[in-house]
Amino acid sequence: MAAVPALMPVLAEMLLAVAGMALLLFGVFRGDRATRLIAWLTVAVFGAAFLAVVGPASAPGAALEGLFVVDRFAVFMKTLVLIGAALTLIMSLGYIRRENMERFEFPVLMLFATLGMLMMISANDLIALYMGLELQSLALYVVAAFRRDSLRSTEAGLKYFVLGALASGMLLYGCSLVYGFTGTTRFEVLADLFGPGGAGVSTGVVVGMVFIAAGLAFKVSAVPFHMWTPDVYEGAPTPVAAFFSVAPKIAAVALLLRVMAQPFGDLVAQWQQIVVFISIASMLLGSFAALAQTNIKRLMAYSSIGHIGFALLGLAAGTTEGVRGVILYMAIYLAMNVGCWGCILAMRRQERMVEGIDDLAGLARTNPLMALAMGIFMFSMAGIPPLAGFFAKLYVFLAVIEAGMYTLAVIGVLSSVVAAVYYLRIVKIMYFDEEGDPFDSPVGGELTFIMAGSGLFVLLFFVYPTPLVRGAQAAAAALFP
Amino acid sequence: MIIANLAFYLFASVTVAAAVMVICARNPVHSVLFLVLAFFNSAGLFVLMGAEFLAMILIVVYVGAVAVLFLFVVMMLDINFVALREGFLQYLPTGGLIGLILLAELVLVIGGWSIEAEIAVPASAPIPAPAELSNTEALGGVLYTRYAYLFQAAGVILLIAMVGSIVLTHRVRPGVRKQRISRQISRTREEAVELKKVSPGEGA
Amino acid sequence: MLTLYVASVFGPLVGSVIAGFFGRALGDRATGVIACMMLGVAMVAGWYVFYEVAFLGRSREAVELFTWIDSGAFEASWALRFDVLAAVMVFVVTTASFLIHVYSIGYMAHDPGVPRFFAYLSLFTFMMLMLVTADNFVQMYFGWEGVGLCSYLLIGFWYKRPSANAAAIKAFIVNRVGDFGFALGIFGVFLVFNAVAFDTVFAAAPDYAGASIEFLGFRIDTLTLICLLLFMGAMGKSAQFILHTWLPDAMEGPTPVSALIHAATMVTAGVFMVVRLSPLFEYAPVALAVVAVIGATTAFFAATVALCQTDIKRVIAYSTCSQLGYMFFAAGVSAYSVAIFHLMTHAFFKALLFLAAGSVIHAMSDEQDMRKMGGLWKRIPLTYGVMWVGSLALAGVPFFSGYFSKDLILESAFAADSAVGDYAFWLGIAAAVMTAFYSGRLLFMTFHGASRASDEVMARVHESPKVMTIPLVLLAVGAIFSGVFGVSIGMVDADGAFWNGSILVLSGHDALAKAHEVPGWVKLLPVVMAGVGITVALVMYIVLPSLPALVAARLRPVYLFLLNKWYFDELYDAVFVRPAHYIGRGFWKAGDGALIDGVGPDGVAAAALGIARRASRLQTGYLYHYAFAMLIGVAALVTWYLLAGGA
Repeated sequence: MAAVPALMPVLAEMLLAVAGMALLLFGVFRGDRATRLIAWLTVAVFGAAFLAVVGPASAPGAALEGLFVVDRFAVFMKTLVLIGAALTLIMSLGYIRRENMERFEFPVLMLFATLGMLMMISANDLIALYMGLELQSLALYVVAAFRRDSLRSTEAGLKYFVLGALASGMLLYGCSLVYGFTGTTRFEVLADLFGPGGAGVSTGVVVGMVFIAAGLAFKVSAVPFHMWTPDVYEGAPTPVAAFFSVAPKIAAVALLLRVMAQPFGDLVAQWQQIVVFISIASMLLGSFAALAQTNIKRLMAYSSIGHIGFALLGLAAGTTEGVRGVILYMAIYLAMNVGCWGCILAMRRQERMVEGIDDLAGLARTNPLMALAMGIFMFSMAGIPPLAGFFAKLYVFLAVIEAGMYTLAVIGVLSSVVAAVYYLRIVKIMYFDEEGDPFDSPVGGELTFIMAGSGLFVLLFFVYPTPLVRGAQAAAAALFP
Repeated sequence: MIIANLAFYLFASVTVAAAVMVICARNPVHSVLFLVLAFFNSAGLFVLMGAEFLAMILIVVYVGAVAVLFLFVVMMLDINFVALREGFLQYLPTGGLIGLILLAELVLVIGGWSIEAEIAVPASAPIPAPAELSNTEALGGVLYTRYAYLFQAAGVILLIAMVGSIVLTHRVRPGVRKQRISRQISRTREEAVELKKVSPGEGA
Repeated sequence: MLTLYVASVFGPLVGSVIAGFFGRALGDRATGVIACMMLGVAMVAGWYVFYEVAFLGRSREAVELFTWIDSGAFEASWALRFDVLAAVMVFVVTTASFLIHVYSIGYMAHDPGVPRFFAYLSLFTFMMLMLVTADNFVQMYFGWEGVGLCSYLLIGFWYKRPSANAAAIKAFIVNRVGDFGFALGIFGVFLVFNAVAFDTVFAAAPDYAGASIEFLGFRIDTLTLICLLLFMGAMGKSAQFILHTWLPDAMEGPTPVSALIHAATMVTAGVFMVVRLSPLFEYAPVALAVVAVIGATTAFFAATVALCQTDIKRVIAYSTCSQLGYMFFAAGVSAYSVAIFHLMTHAFFKALLFLAAGSVIHAMSDEQDMRKMGGLWKRIPLTYGVMWVGSLALAGVPFFSGYFSKDLILESAFAADSAVGDYAFWLGIAAAVMTAFYSGRLLFMTFHGASRASDEVMARVHESPKVMTIPLVLLAVGAIFSGVFGVSIGMVDADGAFWNGSILVLSGHDALAKAHEVPGWVKLLPVVMAGVGITVALVMYIVLPSLPALVAARLRPVYLFLLNKWYFDELYDAVFVRPAHYIGRGFWKAGDGALIDGVGPDGVAAAALGIARRASRLQTGYLYHYAFAMLIGVAALVTWYLLAGGA
């Protein structure tokens, strides 16, 4: 009898997979009436997975024949992903009920997408990476097109699917080049090969790495692989867009960090240039293109492109501090974005969602608390101290400056100034423009809870940032010793 | 050896030509048929490399299932591919240029093939001679042990694909008439037929 | 009993949050009561802390709450430092503040902004407690700025009054000047010591005695420079000469606020800071001399100004300024414990004076001008009585609290036996006469003689409600006995054992020790002077009421000079305010409007919008465009690598 493999590190993933299938069966038997119950059960599963991730599955080590790895970095990023997924799922409950999207597959697909993200974060092999990525993407393609009776939603799903397939193709192509030139797909073996005493790097590997980076850049929606983002955010159902902008982004950034830092860790000189380019392009495009938007979901899409640009600055620095900055940025980004999407989901007028930025006019008088929350998020995204968004940018910029990349820092600061314009414009519209009809109220308990919670986090982060900073520090150290 | 080489060049050139025709053929049905041809020749290449299992799988799955499915879809959906291609020429110069550049670069990369001895196959398990172990056995040996994780992951992906396709296609559309046999046969005469008195010269 | 330590500091914060966020829901009365209760909790906890730390000798160097900033060598924690010094301050601040809170319930009863008032008032107290219990410079700065902010909010509490707004802004800006120095001082400390925690800095201070540093091209003694910068902050916060102008205006706020500012919080922060940093100042003799000179000058200057003021609160405000001067020159001659002792006694009698003045104003239907008062003593006997207690304590009449502390300050100055000490001593004596005089003048003008108010005002004169008078009585008890109390528990003993190491006095600086052995005439002189001052006031305002006008007419230039507070406001207006306005206007019109807006924002904004439009035009919506963009991106990156030879 063969020894049972040590499966403890995979506990959270197994939990999600088993629970996902069980909920699927449950849904099939109970029908769409059980959607709400299944959604809450999914949230509970996320909670259980969270406990597993921070508890029994948090011991560093590899599992499943070394294809799967757990370290402090994986634990930290997985907790972020699970929190983001759970919050966005909770946010979507009201929406799917009102907009006739109440189908039990929705939470289940979200669950499987999250499973894919966790697999991505823990991937220790190019194939494992690809598997996680595809699982996540496939589920996301479906939820993007979830409202089949809406032309925009279908179009969004299709666009996302086709471009995603292209990106996956690039990624696979890159993987095969790397495999072809090195004969392995395992991260630690690759790292040994490129490290001191290894065999060195051939052009083929670098080109392969470029392709892999391009494929991953698509997932984090970095320029020039960002084109899908605004269309998909606008077309997809709002809670789905909220989900897109949070959990998959974090997972993809985590994956990018791991791929760049572990197998290609010694090729900093090579990938740094790609990351610098992508980061600058994303910051600039995210800042400028958002200025001209009138739809808040599109604006959020550009905003997320810009944020990814800022986060990647840290990776561009290529140091532990930089990676810490990225991790911290993603954590804060999670809070800001969840809250912001909560506000957007509360933008309903006469039982219909509205998405224009102008619809926010005079919100400060019709719904002062929501305006306050939105204002906090906008100020935070613009990076105004002492809100959390400021510290996110601060840590990244500090790392860049310490690495001596002053030009990059200057470009970053300049584009954050431009970005501040459109964030503050929203504040101005909310506080100083003539008010329109008020939004429907009440906005619902879940949304209020999320807006208030993330608002407080963003507002009070500066009082006690230490645990998060420490966590990010440990995570970065695990990745980038 | 020469025959093997000849066979290789035959399969390879036909594969490439067929692939070109897949995107160039005007008739979409022809495109799919060229795709089938490309698959067949790729299978031939696999056989030449001694990977008979993969060759068979390629034919069974891709030719037997996927390509035929494509064929059905293409024939059932009346898509005007010519209209879709409009503007294709407009982008041809740039697109062609990009394609050429990429191609040249890849040739450069492959040309500079430089797997030195120390790099070669550092990670993979020693490959046993074909005589000792057949392809199928070898795959089976690792698929469910070393790569069980990936195998399971692939399974979940396929599950999602299935769920996804059901979600996106199976939906209740209002205004669509369906046959419900149980309702048909349980109908009574009173429900089905209504008698009306019609006065002469007025119509119903 | 860690909880009590924390409660003594955070109680007011809780009260503030409750009052601020739920005040409107709770109602005015309940808000006031809850804020008072939270302060009461803090006060009881504060007493316990005082008892445990000062008497049982269990000082807690750092009650660490959690790490705040940890960046490289720069580490600052939220920690509470409860040594004897902090415990004394917590005791004084919570006690005075509690009584003022209670008083405010009555005083502010008819104000529409009660919850806001209590929220600010409690926050003010909390910030002061944060300041006194700080364990490092950064936390101290936090409290320091918090106190400044709250003082702004409270002075401008009646924000609809332009004068209140102006006073609030003035207080804020003058304080900023001082805070700037303080911040520079902290930077200096970090630069030199590479740490901001008190323990670390104090331990390293002796090594830097006599070291010098390059600053603006000069070689300056390191510690002197740092101490002077820090003292600049103290000057601003404690309204010392040159930076004193905000304090008298600060009485634009409601009277309890004035009491709080003058007695317990805010102005004492500067004195406390100098004492807290005694381990630094001790090694910077030049800085100490500056402290003493500024303090003595302020004591004298403010006393002269108080002679001629007619607004009852303004007289008391200048007296605060003057008394703070005493505290500073006590610190300047290394008699830190005496400075804190005076701070404590002063807190009681000054809170008493302000609240009693508030009671008078309340009774007189918001009249503050003493020339329109008179003969009130029969109508409001209790206020009259406590006002006497406060004034006698302030004048330093024997066996009231002020007598013990002020005499000891003067004796220490004399015993310091240096030019600075003598300067301080003689100015202090002069200030003592004047203090007695204006205290007497205030009493006689307000309560005695014929009434100068209109009949209808006089008809409505009434004693304040109990909720206001009880704090007055309690404070009067404090004003009488806090001196004896302080002496008896050994606060000012020459050996400094009471302070248990929280104050450092180098062995050469023995002014306090020698103060107990000064010649008899030095001990007697302040008392005599107090008597003289009160007698003169009695003669001028009771016996010969025509005399003051005569003196004023005779010495018209002097009178005007004093009435106009040495023309400081006018001077600052001419030197700083108006030129700043001109320069600001010039920059605004020419620089900002024409140059920067024209080229910068407007031009750049237009360009940015252009780019934005073009960038969003890239987004065509066509799938193949997107795919194309991705391919181009990859091709470009690959080309870049091959051309740049990245491999």
